[in-house]
Amino acid sequence: MARVILVFNKKVIKEYPFAKDSMTIGRDEVNDIVIDNLAVSGHHARIDKTGDTYILTDLQSTNGTFVNDKKITSHKLLHKDKVIIGKHLLFFAMSKQEQAKAKDGELDKTMILDTARQKELLEKQAEKKAMAVPAQKGKLGIITFIDGSGEGEIQLTKKLTKIGKAETSEIRLGGVFMPPTAATISRRPNGYAISSTGGRTKVKVNDQVIKESHYLKDFDTIEIGSYKFQFYSQDSKDAK
Amino acid sequence: MKITAAGLSDVGLKRESNEDYLTIDNSTGLYIVADGMGGHQAGEVASRVAVQIIQKNVNNWITKNSPMVDLFDFPDMTLSQRGNYISSSIKLANRVIYEMSQEYTEYKGMGTTIVILAIMPSTIIAANVGDSRIYLIRGDTMEPLSKEHSMVAEQLEMGLISEEEAKISPLRHILTRNLGSTGIVDADVFEIEHINNDRFLLCTDGLTDLVSDDEILSIIKNGNDPDYICQQLVSEANKRGGYDNITVSLICLNEQNDEKQGIIRRFGTFLKNKK
Repeated sequence: MARVILVFNKKVIKEYPFAKDSMTIGRDEVNDIVIDNLAVSGHHARIDKTGDTYILTDLQSTNGTFVNDKKITSHKLLHKDKVIIGKHLLFFAMSKQEQAKAKDGELDKTMILDTARQKELLEKQAEKKAMAVPAQKGKLGIITFIDGSGEGEIQLTKKLTKIGKAETSEIRLGGVFMPPTAATISRRPNGYAISSTGGRTKVKVNDQVIKESHYLKDFDTIEIGSYKFQFYSQDSKDAK
Repeated sequence: MKITAAGLSDVGLKRESNEDYLTIDNSTGLYIVADGMGGHQAGEVASRVAVQIIQKNVNNWITKNSPMVDLFDFPDMTLSQRGNYISSSIKLANRVIYEMSQEYTEYKGMGTTIVILAIMPSTIIAANVGDSRIYLIRGDTMEPLSKEHSMVAEQLEMGLISEEEAKISPLRHILTRNLGSTGIVDADVFEIEHINNDRFLLCTDGLTDLVSDDEILSIIKNGNDPDYICQQLVSEANKRGGYDNITVSLICLNEQNDEKQGIIRRFGTFLKNKK
């Protein structure tokens, strides 16, 4: 069993055996390892055990968490790692067995993190840092007719929205020269992209003809034949 | 539409066995790569079982044109019917692997990543769970069609760490999702349109850990024969240590009716110029 040894001013204050799947560290009394010092945040950091691996994660603390003098966000703990929180030192020690397992060069091996708590943790971290997050990727795209021909706005909830004359199109457009599918808008890992499907009807974004595909930005105007749309995006709750 | 595809799975230089598994099926347009994990051959079992279950069920549902309500688990309304076939088959494979790992001690803790590319008549579907990847190579650019389910990727997306930190993080290999570790899993599924000359690369982290995106793109751009490109990619990863199994699969599209379209298009431009 691994142990965490709390040291202050070169004196051992307490030793904590790692008996659970995770241990929390902070000033608040609900923590497993309580450090009563103003430099320590209420919920400062936690250590999770996944398989034979121990992972230390900083809970967006005010003063940060350091391992062997380096500031970390998360860190895989090894035998004899020195974790510094405020002015306190946490010395991490593994049992001989665990050291042997860790030595097997498992660093490159893929592992699965099986705790739902980790998810919550990541979400919590994100909430705090929400300002810094480029939220663009999770946004819901919307297009509106700006030529007065169509009805209001269309939310692009589908992974692939087909635009054209075909009955199966998500957005149906009429016209003699309109092909069954004139264009498609796909929701990809990097955002929404419009593609021309190669028919005779031209697809333009901001007056430029699209040959293959083009990533859409807010307030881009899209022209398909004689139809005109505008694209924009907004935060959505269901976005992944 | 003409598809040319190639695939190669290599044990690498450090591992004793190959836990990756791949399948290439031009007749149904289904391409799958899986990276298994778990000791004592369990990783090999997980990746093979996943690929076979997905292949069998997707083909079966397509043949029967099964309605979405008949599939395993609830349908995802943001996806097409075929997209749901893929997504549901992944959930099913996950459940089987999960139950196997619960039932038999020799399979305890086994799991696998999965990446699927399905070339369907009306769309191209890309789906993944874990850290294996799909790239779309269109023209001179390469972009991901998969989402990485690892702690580092999630931290990166949330803006908690920088890309430089992500590259060297020791947590790179810790997955937040795979097939087999929980009873329920959600895949990330994307659907895109066909564009002539599109190329797709499916690969495991044995490649992407050692060879950068730019280098991968340049190898693909400078090659023509998919078999040769796959060999190049694998040998590049082996040159740099090859500490994991390496699996790559390259799929290239060529529209056959290109010429016909060309004539219509040429006629169109002719008319326009006359005006």
